Amino acid sequence: MNAIASGEFWVFVGVIAGIYTLLGLGIQLEFGFAGLLNFGHVAFMAIGAYTMAILTVKAGLSMWLSAGLGVLAAAAAGIVLGLPTLRLRADYFAIVTIAFGEIVRYVATNEDGLTGGSQGTINLAGPGQASEYNGSWERFQTWLQHALHVGSSDVAMLLVVWAAALALTALLAASARTPWSRVLKSIREDEDVAASLGKNVFAYKLQALALGSAAAGLAGCFFAWQFSFFSPGDFAPLLTFFAWMIVILGGLGRPWSVPVGALMLGVIYAGTRFFDFPPFSYFDSAERAYLRLIVIGVVIIGLVLFRPQGVLGRREELVLE
Amino acid sequence: MFLQLVGNGLVTGSVIAIAAVGVSLVYGILGLVNFAFGDVMAFGGFVAFLFNVTLGLPIAAATAIAMLMTALLCVVLEGVLWRPLRLRRAGFMSLFLASIGLALVLRQAIFLVAGPQTRAFDVDPYRVYVVASVRFSTGQTAALVVATATIVLVGLVLGLTSVGRTMRAVADSRTLAAVAGIDTERVVVLTWVLAGLLAALAGVLAGLVQSSFDPNFGFSLLLPTFAAVVLGGIGSAYGALAGGIALGLAMEVSTWSGFFGGVDSVYKPVVAFAVLIVALLLRPQGLLGKARLA
Amino acid sequence: MRSAPILAVDALSRRFGAVRAVDGASFEVEPGSITSLIGPNGAGKSTLFNVVSGLLSPDSGRVVFEGQRIDGRPPHRIARLGLVRTFQNARALTRLSVLDNLALAAPQQPGERLSTLLVAPGAARRHESETRARARELLELVRLDSHADALAATLSGGQRKLLDFARALMARPRLLLMDEPLAGVNPTLRLQLLDHIDAVRAEGGVTVVLVEHDLDAVMRVSDRVVVMSGGRVIAAGAPAEVRADAAVVDAYLGTDG
Repeated sequence: MNAIASGEFWVFVGVIAGIYTLLGLGIQLEFGFAGLLNFGHVAFMAIGAYTMAILTVKAGLSMWLSAGLGVLAAAAAGIVLGLPTLRLRADYFAIVTIAFGEIVRYVATNEDGLTGGSQGTINLAGPGQASEYNGSWERFQTWLQHALHVGSSDVAMLLVVWAAALALTALLAASARTPWSRVLKSIREDEDVAASLGKNVFAYKLQALALGSAAAGLAGCFFAWQFSFFSPGDFAPLLTFFAWMIVILGGLGRPWSVPVGALMLGVIYAGTRFFDFPPFSYFDSAERAYLRLIVIGVVIIGLVLFRPQGVLGRREELVLE
Repeated sequence: MFLQLVGNGLVTGSVIAIAAVGVSLVYGILGLVNFAFGDVMAFGGFVAFLFNVTLGLPIAAATAIAMLMTALLCVVLEGVLWRPLRLRRAGFMSLFLASIGLALVLRQAIFLVAGPQTRAFDVDPYRVYVVASVRFSTGQTAALVVATATIVLVGLVLGLTSVGRTMRAVADSRTLAAVAGIDTERVVVLTWVLAGLLAALAGVLAGLVQSSFDPNFGFSLLLPTFAAVVLGGIGSAYGALAGGIALGLAMEVSTWSGFFGGVDSVYKPVVAFAVLIVALLLRPQGLLGKARLA
Repeated sequence: MRSAPILAVDALSRRFGAVRAVDGASFEVEPGSITSLIGPNGAGKSTLFNVVSGLLSPDSGRVVFEGQRIDGRPPHRIARLGLVRTFQNARALTRLSVLDNLALAAPQQPGERLSTLLVAPGAARRHESETRARARELLELVRLDSHADALAATLSGGQRKLLDFARALMARPRLLLMDEPLAGVNPTLRLQLLDHIDAVRAEGGVTVVLVEHDLDAVMRVSDRVVVMSGGRVIAAGAPAEVRADAAVVDAYLGTDG
């Protein structure tokens, strides 16, 4: 029961929820607004994180510049994926995005020279040498901690992540009232009508994919800053799944539901760690992790069966048609 | 050397082909690609492991039991999940997400019960069969023989028996089949049974071919399987067979040193994806699929 | 002196597998006219429409609009050239409001481009207000203005047809292709729609091509009638001529519609 009261733990959960918000906003744009089925989303997070780390350690660029380039690289990757594939029918596109995700993971795991291989960025500067891309970030964090008079650098991190997450949410919400997003909504519901009214469907889909991927790239940068070292295994398909869950839990097409959904998922997932009662108490901690994921999977299936508008949505705004 | 790769390709390809037929049949029922199918294959593989290694049964018996239990699992899931969703006229997204949720549950359940360690079936690892200077391990030989026999059998059942023909009719168009007086619910259940049998078989054969496997291996099988189904043309069981073999061959032969030094064998799945993407760009409906109607 | 046709379909063919839905169809449409395309079910009228509007590509043949070849071009480009269509089942965008359904159709909106939103948001906002004002006028025209802010999902079938029509007008068409505009519409609404179609030609100079089964309406409102059967054009001319044409009577007149 002690751990529940530990502020440090919940700050950590809050940071993760913030990162997931950024990831989820990408899905909200790609699927909630434009109807794209991108199941390789986490690959763009990896591209953002790795680009930043590689450019900082190997090319000696400033970390801030590398981060910007990381976000751009993620967007560019989205365009590279989308150009040949966005004209495919929806479920083929979904499969191709998964394949893309796997390809990125493969490259990250096997191209040791570039990415540090399966052990991750700890190897970036070459064997036997510690590599660090986080120096500038940690200095920034400490500066912020003192500037804002908060207790720890973790809290500073929490504030920065959420500042970025909320800013991006506000941006997405503002865009939801524009004619641009009206075109996306029309494409989502009926592409043929949109095209028959003069809209270049392919170009709009590509924009949504690029921007959503950029959001994932930014999430990747924050992930890298939070954890200092990361490896390809950190970007498992499960994260894409979580991003989707957040958007669905919160309700489609509603940007402000994404941070709410991320917090809900974070609290549920982290909170169940402390369940000490049966049936959880029969298992050891490693097994409990599996059990919690099973519970989440069952909750998702339950939502699909019994509440397809999502937790926060209204009946008319059916999330899942 | 090249011939060895062709031999390996046929082995891999025939295993993928079996899985692909299962996915293709289920696609006909659900109207979408079932993301839980990989973990259903893993379920079959691990049940067989339980009976073969933990309980000491010969591999053939263990496989048979696994096939039956997996078929049962699929029928239960049909009753508990897929049929209720169909009755609610669930759309594409609902089915997609339900299958992803199901995949999560199945895989974590396997982790929970079996643990994360890699496992191997109880077969003689040293025995080698040589055919025309191509060497096959016991596992590969078993896979090739069983897979070929299964493909032929399934092809015959689907093509020549009335049950098979009705399955294909229902897979092709459930509404039309219902109008034609076919008892679609019964055929749906039968299709799940067949798909479950094939999934378990594919899981066991893949485990034999790979020599060792862990609870994640269903997912890593799934993507080349999807690639095979899409390559062959969604909705065509024969296409799935052709697609599977083609992909298996492409994957293995791509490592041949004659192709500019060959692809690093680690990247074989990447080759499968690349083949898929290129094929879709050239022929969006797949090898044997139907062209898009107005 | 006859002016050049605004639309010319020349030996157009399109098949699906073994079925030749359109098989060497040819006809012309005079600017400023109302032309009806009629024929029994399965004659290929909808397929022809889909090819002309770009949703399908032809296997062979040409489509020329205002002197330009448009066969094989993507639908959004064809729409931007001024060839706009409506749909047999209206296809209202149910998740958008009625007003948004129309506002969407306005051509060349600066607010639809991300780049413009970033550098000139004011201009985008102004254009959007003008667009919405024009949309409201059109809604008044079809008497749907009281539904402007409701979701299009709340409209009845007949109302959705009016919406589809108004939406097409919003796109500033020079040629309007209407796919069975009167299907499933009650008699009062039918007369309204026919009046609108007439008005659009008279006041706006818009050329209209209709696919229709309601032969009374067709005979009343059309300048010219084109008859299709088995994927081909078997007769074309003034309504009275066509009605008397033996081939047409053979094909289906009197037994369908």
